[in-house]
Amino acid sequence: MTYVKEGVVTIVQESRFQLTDDNGIAHLFLLDRNAGAEPAQLAPLQARQARVRVTYEQARNLIGLVARSVSLLPPAAR
Amino acid sequence: MNMHPRALEHATSTLDHVIPNESELTAGARIVPGRSYGFFTDTTVCIGCKACEVACKEWNNLPADNLGLTGQSFDNTGALSANTWRHVAFVEKSGSHGLRDGLDQKFQSGWLMMSDVCKHCHNAPCLEACPTGALFKTEFDTVVVQQDICNGCGYCVPACPFGVVDVSTVDGKAHKCTLCYDRLKGGLEPACAKSCPTDSIQFGELSDLQVRAAERVEHLHGIGVESAYLYGTPDAPGATGGLGHLNAFFLLTDRPEVYNLPAAPTRPANRVAPSLATGLATVAALALASAFLFAPSPEDRRGGRR
Repeated sequence: MTYVKEGVVTIVQESRFQLTDDNGIAHLFLLDRNAGAEPAQLAPLQARQARVRVTYEQARNLIGLVARSVSLLPPAAR
Repeated sequence: MNMHPRALEHATSTLDHVIPNESELTAGARIVPGRSYGFFTDTTVCIGCKACEVACKEWNNLPADNLGLTGQSFDNTGALSANTWRHVAFVEKSGSHGLRDGLDQKFQSGWLMMSDVCKHCHNAPCLEACPTGALFKTEFDTVVVQQDICNGCGYCVPACPFGVVDVSTVDGKAHKCTLCYDRLKGGLEPACAKSCPTDSIQFGELSDLQVRAAERVEHLHGIGVESAYLYGTPDAPGATGGLGHLNAFFLLTDRPEVYNLPAAPTRPANRVAPSLATGLATVAALALASAFLFAPSPEDRRGGRR
């Protein structure tokens, strides 16, 4: 079961990142191995406070979410 | 309380900038690239508050894992893993075997608590096993995994004699304590050491820490805790098998196995030469045996096969 969340990347550590949604709630994501993105690509998103859309699943035995894909939202949606 | 004179420069509680060389104020050590840094964990003053675990998770954005009850006393973390880089061990034993020995009530048990972490070995076996060079020695003499280079082969996992390195099932890469590499680069003390309320975890330059630890052992011996010893300093238990010394070392009061530490850890690389020699000897012996067994008999050689 996949879900979608949008927000701003506020913290990046290795392949883990924090997404702060429009309600100001922070969510911890772990980049999935099949996400089609590398951890090194996350830091620039945080540096520019990019607004992104994350497709995710619940992680098993972790208090965190597994990011299946991360896409940059177009400027119009920001 | 001794306050560093530089602390007076920062009197307000709200700061609009990072304090330059903050570790000088919080740990009494200025962080300079090219020097060796590490942790001295004095288990005799650990109270098991787990502030180090929380600080580590908070700074490194690590998720809580092993949800549910472990059934292991107050230990809800279980072990070091890809998502847990500090683990406070709770060891319950009969009698305190310390300063309060004989003063305990009959029903009371003694507790040993120890905040376990990556040892940042001088000759790190994980680093030696890594085929891609993802594990490397930093300018602070610590061992770190470069996430963009790690291919998730997992060779480092069995290579570590302390069972520290773990491959994440989510991103497929190896993870372990970085000794807060990013904080060190910014002149900050590692999060766990900074959060420790009893200074059980002390951060600093390795040579200073080793002297401080030796003095602490001497002091404990002086007040009657004869069982105190260091684990991981040069020529001490823990620094065996070619590991050199451990940059994260411990003061223990019981056998290492009690704290889930190996009594005599070794570098797997030590076994490469004997294994290779054994393999080559086996191949040679098999070749010799097959030559002897399958060689044509003297009759065959004389008359040929009928």
